[in-house]
Amino acid sequence: MSDLKAVLNAALDCVVMMDHEGRIVGINPAAERTFAIKEDEARGREMADIIIPPTLREAHRRGLQRLLEGGEPHVLDRRIEVTAQRADGSLVPVELTITKLDIEGPPLFVGYLRDIGDRIESEEALRRSRMQLLRATDEARRRLERDLHDGAQQRLVGLALTLRLARAQVEQNPAAAIALLDEAQEDLASATEELRELARGLHPAVLTDGGLGPALRGLIARLPLEVAVTGVPDSRLPIDVESTAYFVVAEALTNVARYAGTQRALVELRLDDHRLAIEVRDHGRGGADMGAGTGLRGLAARVAVHDGMLSVASPPGEGTTVHVEVPCGS
Amino acid sequence: MPRTVLIVDDHAGFRRQARRVLEAEGYEVVGEATTGAAGIAAASELRPDVVLLDVHLPDANGFDIVSRVLAPTVVLISTHDRQDYAELISRSGARGFLSKDQLCGATLEALVAEA
Repeated sequence: MSDLKAVLNAALDCVVMMDHEGRIVGINPAAERTFAIKEDEARGREMADIIIPPTLREAHRRGLQRLLEGGEPHVLDRRIEVTAQRADGSLVPVELTITKLDIEGPPLFVGYLRDIGDRIESEEALRRSRMQLLRATDEARRRLERDLHDGAQQRLVGLALTLRLARAQVEQNPAAAIALLDEAQEDLASATEELRELARGLHPAVLTDGGLGPALRGLIARLPLEVAVTGVPDSRLPIDVESTAYFVVAEALTNVARYAGTQRALVELRLDDHRLAIEVRDHGRGGADMGAGTGLRGLAARVAVHDGMLSVASPPGEGTTVHVEVPCGS
Repeated sequence: MPRTVLIVDDHAGFRRQARRVLEAEGYEVVGEATTGAAGIAAASELRPDVVLLDVHLPDANGFDIVSRVLAPTVVLISTHDRQDYAELISRSGARGFLSKDQLCGATLEALVAEA
């Protein structure tokens, strides 16, 4: 019996033994911890009163009764998920199997239970983060469609109409036709520039070809901001880490340009052994709200995919700091 | 007598271009509006022969307001292609649809003549 006791004491799972009257015969230390009750207090009491929530007690008693009267077992020897209760009345989701010991005399039931609260929580967190990523992707597509529609497409429509007008004027009014062709050329140049800008926003070619340093310097040159950059890694990082770092900086700096009411910002990169830290700081008006725009939230979802973290500190009047850390395994 | 046209579109560049194209082909552009509400009001006031109605307006969806735009011929316009919107166009009650880059007197006349 002491061998058995040692086995039960060492088990990670909760073990709860119950007699044919539904009374607790013994519980192991894991069960003591999970249900916040000592074995001495539990022994001899009806199990229903201790670890089964009030709403499920009647079903438990009926099930036991039915089983003792020779009914077909519903819950024996299979895995089920159910809600249990701690001594303080708080609820805990568990998975459990119950088995009936084949012994002389009245039957003895043994339940093996495992707290799956953490697992359920992390499953939910995973589901939420996948949803966020999906939303961010959809939002990015919508934004792309809008940008194409309002930008290059409009220019090209204008171009088509201008060329049609020019064609109609060519014979009778060559001077007017030439003026229209000049205009068409300008429209075409604008459309080309807008498409370039859009393509850069999707994924800058310089990032693929030259890495983070050239890409960030190119980005900063196009922004109406004075930005100091420090700590750009000398070596190339995994391309997905570079992309995330680039888009974090691009989004944060775009927000500075739009909302911060300042023309200065600071970008600090720091590459430790296996981690890239990125910080974008300004001393503008602060008060940035993660919930307000989908930009930062989309980035947070992206950073989460790397098992990284993103935090935003933005006290009103004191500027905004966006801090991101991404493991990069290099 | 030239046909009168009202242009309802929020892009100033397109309104300017469309006016030039249509005027060069003998149409009289009697008004421009930049929102759905302004377009509905302008159509009631100006009673144009034709209304060019953008499908994406800041305050409305062109498809939804066709019936409130009073004109013998309402033509939906968009940078997108007819195929993008086929079902919405046929449900809208508009006389027809023109991709903006196809706008010219001949295509417009063909739609008006379908009456």
